[in-house]
Amino acid sequence: MTGKHFSYIPLFFASLLLMAACTKNKDYSVPTPKNELQNDCIKRSLGPNIVGLNIEFAYAIAIPASKGKLVSAQVVASIPGLQIKAGDLPNSATYLQDSSFYTNGSGVDVPVGVGTRSVTKEGVNVTTFTKDTNAVTLRYFYRIPEEARGKTVKFTFSATSSNGETVTYEMGPYTIAKMDMKLNLIPTNNDKCYLSIADMALYNATEAAANPGKIDLVYLYRSLSVQFGHALVAPAAPKDYLPGVTLPANVNRDTKLSKAWNVQDFHLAGLKYGTTFVDDPDFEKLDMSTSPDFALGLKEEAGVWVETGDGKYRAYIFINKVDNTGQSARISIKRYTLK
Amino acid sequence: MKKYAIINCILLMTALVWSSCKKETPVDEDGLLITARAECYVSNFELLGADFQTVRSKAPVIDTVACTIQQEVLFGTDLKNLWPQFTLVTDAKLDPKITGKVDFSDLANPKKYTVVSGNRQVRKTYTVIITVQK
Repeated sequence: MTGKHFSYIPLFFASLLLMAACTKNKDYSVPTPKNELQNDCIKRSLGPNIVGLNIEFAYAIAIPASKGKLVSAQVVASIPGLQIKAGDLPNSATYLQDSSFYTNGSGVDVPVGVGTRSVTKEGVNVTTFTKDTNAVTLRYFYRIPEEARGKTVKFTFSATSSNGETVTYEMGPYTIAKMDMKLNLIPTNNDKCYLSIADMALYNATEAAANPGKIDLVYLYRSLSVQFGHALVAPAAPKDYLPGVTLPANVNRDTKLSKAWNVQDFHLAGLKYGTTFVDDPDFEKLDMSTSPDFALGLKEEAGVWVETGDGKYRAYIFINKVDNTGQSARISIKRYTLK
Repeated sequence: MKKYAIINCILLMTALVWSSCKKETPVDEDGLLITARAECYVSNFELLGADFQTVRSKAPVIDTVACTIQQEVLFGTDLKNLWPQFTLVTDAKLDPKITGKVDFSDLANPKKYTVVSGNRQVRKTYTVIITVQK
C-alpha cells in the first residue's frame, strides 16, 4: 500500500459522517392509512398450551366509515376446539367473543355487545355484527381438546365488510403440550396419603391395596426432632424415611425425587405468579439418574421433580400449601408421559 | 527491504508491549491475578441441596490447623447432589474447581479440596467431613 492510498481515508470517513447526518435530518411524514378493510391479531396467552386450557387471541378489524361497515368475523381452527356440552358454563368452551371492550377510568375493561354469540360448527366460530360498527377487537378463546395433544394447531381469522371485502389473518402453528395437569389434590397424613402418578389421584390404604401397581409415593407429615415435616417418599425407600408407616400389601414401587425451589409454575401456583412455566422440554431434559427416592422437609411454594419407577412418567409436583395442624397439604401436578 | 523493516518494527513493538503488560499484571493459568498474599485458609463453608437451599443443620466447624471442615447436614439430605460453596481468604483459589453437583454420599471417604494462596506458593488441603443429623 502506498502513501497516496492513505489520503482517501479522511474522505471515506467524511462521506460516512455526511451520510449519518443526512439520515438524522430526514423529515417525518404521517403515514397514510390504508383505505380498505384491515385486520390484525395477537396471541394473548403465555406459556405452554395444555389440553383443557385456553389459548386466547385478540382479533382487530377496521374499515373506513366511508367504505362500509363490518358484517361478520370468523375463526377456523385446524383442530376444532373443545365444544360446549350440556350443563357447561357459557364460557367454558371455544368461542369468539361477541363484545368489544374499552377500558374505563378505573382501569376496568367494559364490554360493549356488538354481535351475536359466536356459533361453533366444525372448528369454525362465526360472529355476526348486529350493531353498525367500523372497528372492533374481538377476543377468541380456543379451549384445547384432547385430540390436539402433542400436535400443532393453526388458526385462520377472517372478516367481511358490507362492501364485499374480505381479509384474512393466519396465526400459528402452535404446539400443544403432551403433558397433563391436575390441580389442588389434598393429601392427608395417614389417610389419603398414597399418590398415584399414573392416575394423578390420591388413595387411602384400602384403595392403595387394591391398586398397588399404581402407587408411586406416600405423603406423610411427622414432627420429629430432626427435619422431617411434610414429605413425599417412595414406598421402596428405606424405612427410616417412612416412620410409623405400614404399607399396604404389594405397595413397593421405587420413585425418584428431586427437590426444587423457585419453580413456581404459573399454571400450578394459580394466578399469583407471572411467567414461570414448566413445559414439555423441561421433562425431556431432566436427569434424575442420581436422585434419591425421598424428599423430606417440603415447604410451601417448593416443588419436587418425580420419575416413576417404571420410567413411564415424569412429573412436577408443586406444593401449594402445607398445614401442620391439619397434617395435610395441597399439591398440584404436571405430568409428562415418557413411554 | 523497507517493507520488512516496518513489519519487524511492528512485531518488536508488539512483543515489548505484551511483555511489559505481563510483568505488571501476572496472571495464572485461570486468568486470575497472582498477588503477594501468602494467606491460605477457608473462612466459611456452605452446602446447598438440589433445590439450592442450604442443607446445613448447624454452622460448619472449620479447623484451619488440622485443615478439616466438619459439617452436619439435615436428616434426609440427598448426599449425591450437593453444591459446596467455599469462602476463601482474599486472592486464594480452590483446586479442584466446583463445576457442578458433587457426590458426598461416600461418607467413609471424605472429599478433599486444596486452597491455593494468592501468591500461588502455599497449598493447603482441607478434608470435608459430612455427618447426617440423627
